[in-house]
Amino acid sequence: MNKLAVELSGVTKAYPHFTLNNIDLKLPTGSIMGFIGANGAGKSTTIRILLGLVHQDMGVVTVLGHAMPDDQAAAKRDIGFVSEDMRLYGGATLAWHMGFIRSLFPRWDQPYAETLLQRFDLKPQQKVKGLSHGQRVKAALLLSLARRPRLLVLDEPTTGLDPVARREVLGELVAVLADEECTLLFSSHNTLDVEQISDHITFIDRGHIISSADKETFLDRWRRIRLILPPSATLPKFPGIVEVGGSGRLPVLTTDSYEPAMLAACADAGVAVQAVDPMTLEEIFVANVESRRQEMTA
Amino acid sequence: MNIPVVKRLILKDWYLNRAIIVVSLVAGLVTIAVVAAWHGTQLAILFGMIVLVTIMIGIGAMLMITIADERKLQTLPFVMTLPISYKEYTASKIVGSLLIFLVFWLALVAAMVLSILFLPGFRHGLIPFVVIMSVEILMSTCLITAVAVTTESHGWTVGVSQVGALSLNLIGWSIVRFPEIGGTMSSPAVHWSTTASVLILLEIGIIAVMLGAAFLVQSHKRDFV
Repeated sequence: MNKLAVELSGVTKAYPHFTLNNIDLKLPTGSIMGFIGANGAGKSTTIRILLGLVHQDMGVVTVLGHAMPDDQAAAKRDIGFVSEDMRLYGGATLAWHMGFIRSLFPRWDQPYAETLLQRFDLKPQQKVKGLSHGQRVKAALLLSLARRPRLLVLDEPTTGLDPVARREVLGELVAVLADEECTLLFSSHNTLDVEQISDHITFIDRGHIISSADKETFLDRWRRIRLILPPSATLPKFPGIVEVGGSGRLPVLTTDSYEPAMLAACADAGVAVQAVDPMTLEEIFVANVESRRQEMTA
Repeated sequence: MNIPVVKRLILKDWYLNRAIIVVSLVAGLVTIAVVAAWHGTQLAILFGMIVLVTIMIGIGAMLMITIADERKLQTLPFVMTLPISYKEYTASKIVGSLLIFLVFWLALVAAMVLSILFLPGFRHGLIPFVVIMSVEILMSTCLITAVAVTTESHGWTVGVSQVGALSLNLIGWSIVRFPEIGGTMSSPAVHWSTTASVLILLEIGIIAVMLGAAFLVQSHKRDFV
């Protein structure tokens, strides 16, 4: 079996006002990747390229062993996709949609679909146009999950959901991902959602992948170090300092390469360490983006 | 081409367009019933033909507008996540919509020709003109289909539908200028001339070119959603 569910290599796509630039992305089978970026960063374009819906100008895309976009029909037999801007047919019922999808996907799991109907509190005879936004997202998720996809791609699925619906959706995703053969790519600008379920994280900004690693690496290596700098002392030089904030006497270092040895080095330089704060994924993302943008403008 | 999947997509469109189909069918049957109730008078037949042609143009335009609406209503991403290529999607849209239209078109053409042949008061010489104009309506619908599929634009599709409806009168007026057609319309017998055959072949050729061009444009598209 191919160990990579998704592989994008050197993928470029140019639009008049936006360019997705030289994207390299590897998604191992069974992994859960959170794909984080601000609005307009290139998340949806990347996802549409890997689904074959947008053709890359350059680069190679392989999904579940299929070359994209040429082999998209075969690849999509094993892909479930839900996006925030995807709509079902308003004049048809959810039951009709389920029958339609069942006729196209031989692996459709009817008992599981019925379980999801109950869990999401959806009524199959209700027309889609009568569903709320949260119900529509859950209906789309049901139609994707019951196909039993090997790759589930979710593009901002929790956008606009109320906290209860978001919890239900994320809870179901966690349950689905107990299946080690199912791979998930979860795009969002809501880092809290991504942090809850992902084991790999990729940050994208202005069409560039700026960082990609497993979640624990991000959370372990990023720290804010609050220092007290005496008048006679100078700030020690560390590798991986992304940002120096705070005031002259009370500097705050943001690092993406935290090591406990840094504290000893501070002590040696006569600098007192006031606190070492772990960072949330949102703080890491924002610091990462700002640092990258500063590098680009410098 | 994955025929079973294309078939499923066609059935899906027929189901989703069932209201248009049923309303058009009922309207067509009511019109025929009204004509029959008026004992096939020439006025009734004229009224019936105008209404039926209007229904036919209307159903063609409405079906094609639903193609363009896939993007507007954001159902295109849903369809394109199915195990299909864009070529198969295009085939299902063109074949599915035209099949619905062709059922009405064939029924109407047959009804008109049979009315001319078997009801009193009609000159059989009208038949070449009626057939040429019927194929022109088919051609106009294929043009709307090609525009709807390739542009996926509601505005363009509505615009071309209006141009198609308006051009019907102009084309009808131009065809009557041919002496082989206009000159034999009041004849009691059918005079099938070379001009009539050439015009019909020309219309069929234009239909083939338009649908072929739609497939060609679609196969060169790079961004679908």
